[in-house]
Amino acid sequence: MKKGPFDMGQIDIAWCPGCGNFGILTALKGALTELGVRPEKLVIASGIGQAAKTPHYVRTNVFNGLHGRAVPAATAIKAANPGLTVIAEGGDGDMYGEGGNHFIHAIRRNPDITVIVHNNMVYALTKGQASPTSSIGFKTPVQVRGVTEEPFNAIAVSVALNASFVARAFAGDHDQTKDIIKKAVSHRGFALVEILQPCVSFNKVNTYQWFKENTAYHEASYDPSDRFAAFKRATEAEKMLLGIFYVNPDKPCFEDTLPPYYKETTPLFKRRIDGEKLFGLIDSRRRV
Amino acid sequence: MIGEAAIRAGCRFYAGYPITPQNELTEYMARSMDNIEDGTFVQAESEIAAINMVIGASMAGARAMTSSSSPGISLKQEGISFLAAQELPAVIVNTMRGGPGLGNIAPSQGDYFQATRGGGHGDYRTIVLAPDSGQELADLTRTAFEYADKYRSPVLMLADGMMGQMMEPVVFPEPIDVSLLPHKPWTLGGAEGRPSRIILSLLLNPAKQEELNWKLERKYETITREIPKAEKYMTDDAHLAVIAYGTAARIAKGAVKRVREMGLKVGLFRPITLWPYPKNDLRDLSRHIRDFLVFEMNTGQMVEDVKLSLEGKSNVHFYGRPGGTISTPDEIAKMINTLYHRQNLEEE
Repeated sequence: MKKGPFDMGQIDIAWCPGCGNFGILTALKGALTELGVRPEKLVIASGIGQAAKTPHYVRTNVFNGLHGRAVPAATAIKAANPGLTVIAEGGDGDMYGEGGNHFIHAIRRNPDITVIVHNNMVYALTKGQASPTSSIGFKTPVQVRGVTEEPFNAIAVSVALNASFVARAFAGDHDQTKDIIKKAVSHRGFALVEILQPCVSFNKVNTYQWFKENTAYHEASYDPSDRFAAFKRATEAEKMLLGIFYVNPDKPCFEDTLPPYYKETTPLFKRRIDGEKLFGLIDSRRRV
Repeated sequence: MIGEAAIRAGCRFYAGYPITPQNELTEYMARSMDNIEDGTFVQAESEIAAINMVIGASMAGARAMTSSSSPGISLKQEGISFLAAQELPAVIVNTMRGGPGLGNIAPSQGDYFQATRGGGHGDYRTIVLAPDSGQELADLTRTAFEYADKYRSPVLMLADGMMGQMMEPVVFPEPIDVSLLPHKPWTLGGAEGRPSRIILSLLLNPAKQEELNWKLERKYETITREIPKAEKYMTDDAHLAVIAYGTAARIAKGAVKRVREMGLKVGLFRPITLWPYPKNDLRDLSRHIRDFLVFEMNTGQMVEDVKLSLEGKSNVHFYGRPGGTISTPDEIAKMINTLYHRQNLEEE
């Protein structure tokens, strides 16, 4: 197979054979290649978890930081250098559990970043505890009587918060997933792509077969500009729906609201300090 | 071992969040709390949520515990500072791993400063217990809950990834009857027939804050008088003593046995309480031992307490391996041997 711009060559990958992450990795690299994103103009930030290892396997700029904190880091990367394409990537525990608060407030802030959440409904790195998206009744060595909490519905939360782009994909569907990632990365503003992903080692309930049977794509005529329809579909649909739920292109991006970018988009580190202006400001505050 | 000992010590509330290498403890607490039926287990959404749940359970009167590993313990520090300020008992278990940052999941002792210097903000101390065996994990867990209640203070159990994965035969202490524990007259347990209580740590008036700080300080003085503990191993006739705690002490003990076979008069001083540090015991030892070799699984942290304790009157040497690497007893024996001859200790 021909080596793409984001391929690493021979590397050790820590995922189990059959892991849904492989499909997501391929779709992500394919989407970036087809969009013509250059590896040197891309940063992928991640936290901790099996999904957060994804950027290790992509030939580009990578920040692998704290558990749950990829989104604030990605927000600041974009704010410091708006010329970059910025992706934050992680799993359901990372993004919705530990990072749940950041997730919510990033949607409000609306930075122009893409947030890819691998949702396998389990903590896989720590070997099989229930995650924020595990189904009620899901049994693990820790949830001995099964999960009792309502699963976190990230799609509904995002639509409720008027996120600018909200989509869900399935790791088993390469082409559709690649297409959704392309649309999300191209979108200006906060874009959520939740990717349903089987964990072959620690989630024996939500398997490839289960996802096949319990998901369905929005019909082609579905209009993703209708927020109430999107919310209804996120909460009431019989199956977990796939595809783009909601797009709101009219929200101002966080970076656009920052004074340094009113006139130009030169990254902060490339700018010269206007000494005259700075000292003028200091002098203007002197009292003596 | 900590899990079973905690249940037997009357722990009835546990909150945690997944992190390696201590998931076994969380699993054990989940099963046990379910078995005993009058305990509560919560897998929280984050470490911060878990420590705040422990704060809540503690102020409602329950013996409460949380556990994590290094990066997760950093997240709990704000809560630990509040536990100290509000004088709430709680047990916190840190199964240390390599750091800083995310580090790795191998055994380390990199969190000594964090544990013994407070870790969170403000003028406070945390009792720190450092077990070195399965039996001590069990025994000190009981002690931790007792100290927490007695001194109304957070107590930190400082273990490491090695101990977190260890299997050893253990004799557990008999379970206590939770209903017989002394009444806590400060809990938020419903104000029927008495005035309301308030637990807080917001003291905007500097005089009130100073009053709390001095009150805590008096308590810390009492703790420093009452609980310092250390093990002395083959130190009576020793010319040199290794100082180590936890897993490092087990390795050092093996090394001491080896050099003893070679005829070197070497012993081991093993602090069991890291705060308060067993200063007086160490000073007693320094009356006949001039050279000390501090061995830690870090780049040198406890060595500062050793120097503070000995006040420059002894020779303090250091050997450390950071990052989750594990020394062998042979490696330490070699270090001891070299030092012993360099300091001409065989002639004494």
